[in-house]
Amino acid sequence: MESAPQSRCINCAQRSDRFFCDLSADALQAFDQIKSVSHYQRGTVLFRQDEIARGIFLLCQGRVKLSVISDSGKRLTLRIVGPGEVLGLSACLSGGPHEVTAEMMDDAQVAMVKRKELLLFLRQHREACLHVVHLLSQDLHIAYDRVRAVGLGRTRRVRPEPVH
Amino acid sequence: MLSPYGLDIIESCLTCKVRADRIFCDLPAAALQCFEGIKYATAYPKGAVLFVEGQAPRGIFVLCKGRVKLSICASDGKTLIVKIAEPGEVLGLSASVSGKAYELTAETLDPCQVNFIKREDFLRFLRDHSEACFKVAEQLSEKYNNACHEVRALGLSHSAGEKLANLLLEWSSKNGEATKQEPRLKLALTHEEIAQMIGTSRETVTRLFADLRKRQIVQSKGSTLVIRNKAALRLLATNG
Repeated sequence: MESAPQSRCINCAQRSDRFFCDLSADALQAFDQIKSVSHYQRGTVLFRQDEIARGIFLLCQGRVKLSVISDSGKRLTLRIVGPGEVLGLSACLSGGPHEVTAEMMDDAQVAMVKRKELLLFLRQHREACLHVVHLLSQDLHIAYDRVRAVGLGRTRRVRPEPVH
Repeated sequence: MLSPYGLDIIESCLTCKVRADRIFCDLPAAALQCFEGIKYATAYPKGAVLFVEGQAPRGIFVLCKGRVKLSICASDGKTLIVKIAEPGEVLGLSASVSGKAYELTAETLDPCQVNFIKREDFLRFLRDHSEACFKVAEQLSEKYNNACHEVRALGLSHSAGEKLANLLLEWSSKNGEATKQEPRLKLALTHEEIAQMIGTSRETVTRLFADLRKRQIVQSKGSTLVIRNKAALRLLATNG
């Protein structure tokens, strides 16, 4: 069984298995200072598409559904993310609005870091910045897979072969 | 220097005049000096393939001049254009960082100048220069944003008509024409390429354009398209 989540990252047992969290003691201490930990109920919306990014959300446990919504209100699930994932990273870095809506699928602990503090943290800790670049690259790979599935996945109905 | 393609090659990033306007290139002096040492300035004709989807990453390509078509391909040969990259953009970034295969195919639409950096050199450069690392994160964020937009546009629009209307509205909002009553836009792509951008056939795009012209929603003058009835186009974009 997984051990209970810790409010301090430095005491977290799962840290080393998680890409973003696996930081040096120095960086981790600084991260502990700027993050705030909250428990969210299933169904809580962490952020909505087109909202200006306030900060990033680091998922300590549970799952979150990321979806895109059209102007007419139609919804398409982009992916389901699990523990250790960082949400809202790209919007936070570009300073633009969130490109997806994130909704909690379980009751779980989430750490939040405000945008301004994150940017400062990334400038001061190069290893964290490199981790972020890696995470964004992976997110991008997954997003392009979705583009491929959505844009090219639709198969045309094959006409039956004429019988001779 | 005058080259066969009419391209004026910028040999050195240090003396590049447009550097300050480009997100990635606007680096501090020390990082720029290091970048200068690892990059190769190359010129490509129109139609050259920089890298192919599925290929192991060799490195990144900084687009200095010209446009590059980024597309993905299905196993049945159907192509989808994800984006037309403009000067200042860095291509092959996520694959070079993660070490996974290139997820797109990049083909030049014009004669282009491209600065190439080998993957190992680039990764070392990122480790040594935190400012560059930050800029790469910004570029990746922008690409992610674009990919999500693409999923939304392709996955949540019903008809090809809806997608084309959306694409025309998006283009018309780009070059300061958005506020005009009748925005103009230059169609720099063929019907075939537009079809590949919205995931439909060339015939459908031609038919849709003919229909838009007949209903006097758009008017074409050579390669310039004038949107005569923006409200009607908006309605098409939401209802299909």
